[in-house]
Amino acid sequence: MIKGYAVLDFVGKSVMDSYQGVTQFIQLVVDSLAEGFRPPLRIRETVQQLYFIAVQSLPIILFCVCFAAMVTILESSFHMKLVIQNDSMVPGFAAMLILRELGAVVTALLVTSRVGAGIAAEVGTMKITEQIDALRMLGIRPIHYIVVPRLIASVIGLAILTIIANLVCLFVAFLVSEIYLGFTSGLFITGLVRFIHFQDLVFSIIKGACFGFVIPLVSCHFGFLCASGAEGVGLATTRSVVASSVIIIILDFVLSFVFSFFS
Amino acid sequence: MNSLVILNSVIDEIGSALLFFVNILKTLMRRPCSRDELFQQIWKVTMQSLVTTGLAGFFVGAIMAVQFTLQMREFGALGYLGGLATSATVREVGPLLIAFMLAGKVGAFTSAELGTMRVTEQLDAIRCLGADPLQEIILPRFLAIICASFFLLGLGLVMSIGGGILLGGLLAQVSVEEYLRHIPAIVTLSSIANGLVKCFIFAVILATVCTYKGYTTTGGAKGVGLAVVNTAVSTMVGIVVADWLTSFIADVAIRAFVGSPF
Repeated sequence: MIKGYAVLDFVGKSVMDSYQGVTQFIQLVVDSLAEGFRPPLRIRETVQQLYFIAVQSLPIILFCVCFAAMVTILESSFHMKLVIQNDSMVPGFAAMLILRELGAVVTALLVTSRVGAGIAAEVGTMKITEQIDALRMLGIRPIHYIVVPRLIASVIGLAILTIIANLVCLFVAFLVSEIYLGFTSGLFITGLVRFIHFQDLVFSIIKGACFGFVIPLVSCHFGFLCASGAEGVGLATTRSVVASSVIIIILDFVLSFVFSFFS
Repeated sequence: MNSLVILNSVIDEIGSALLFFVNILKTLMRRPCSRDELFQQIWKVTMQSLVTTGLAGFFVGAIMAVQFTLQMREFGALGYLGGLATSATVREVGPLLIAFMLAGKVGAFTSAELGTMRVTEQLDAIRCLGADPLQEIILPRFLAIICASFFLLGLGLVMSIGGGILLGGLLAQVSVEEYLRHIPAIVTLSSIANGLVKCFIFAVILATVCTYKGYTTTGGAKGVGLAVVNTAVSTMVGIVVADWLTSFIADVAIRAFVGSPF
């Protein structure tokens, strides 16, 4: 009897908690969109954040994306030989997979673990040391000061990072297919032209920008909710990384599904 | 000069992480941890990431189905959709996904926990009491991450097949029977072995990095935060590199022993 109550209690509490979290998150999204169009444009802050998000993440992203591209082309060669006993289409397919999925998603996941965790830790520390209250007392709107520059920088930064990651990915796939799998460069480029259209790159950039929209908002959300103490900051960081990763994967699926009707 | 210093510190870090790994193995050989503690940790790790992994697995299966539909449509080979999507998930995407999810959730949690223990000198207290922190604290967590990753891999694969069936039906009009029929033909034993080996290697890397980063935390609360962020980033880099290495070695091995892949 008591056990039954405990289960009900647990379920109700977790439903209420997640409902509250979602409403607060939506409020944060709406607030930051509204604040984004308000006059004092913090260009300096935005450029600083852009440097942190895009420029400083670039080496690690390029490094990881290179290896991911090699794996993709090896695996797609394996599968093509398995099913249609012919791997002449591999360059085109691998390039399509890179442009449609890999470039944007791998970039976004890496940025989440680096930048998202950083933002959550920073905002959480500001929260527990009462710097956010201090800002409010000085007449500065916290969302305008903290969230909006990061949001703008992250959307722009991820769009640019996605383009660079895609190009480097394609180049590495090209090198691997020529050196290791024995395709000529002409074959690779023919496959590219046959399977890839300009709209694929545009879709990829849109995906990157959407992921860039999600990452700072989720991190700031968990940062603002941060409980006091050092453990609270750690918890906020972990939660923000996990939540952004899951949201990125779900969003990726939704966007892929929508884009599949346009091609 | 600056880049040389960075390179030097990276090599330093990798070396000491490897030494730490060897230490853990030695402890495992000589003084295995208590069974109760190990099972408790396995239960904790698995339950912590059950929902996340299931959700991510479902959507990854759906994404694979969408992408393979677009590719297979060119050949009119939509019947192979189920086999191909499952094969790609088993060989490649599944282990990678589980490792990424675990890196974000369990890896960060473990390094934060161990880092807090280190900073508040609990690890030193354990040593003072005459126990070995490597054996009592690190080893159960290390083994639990490796064991739990296999359970989570199984869950993720099942969920991904579910997602693939749903999207295959919606987008490509492939029925459930047709989706499932080609799976045994295309997913061979070597593919499953490939996936399991990858999963094991990723789990070892994740477990080593997060326990190492937590164990060597310095500098108070800020140091713990830094350790958590460093864990996530270096685990992901390590996993991607290991992924390439295993794919490459498997490819070379197949070519050497069988001649051509088929």
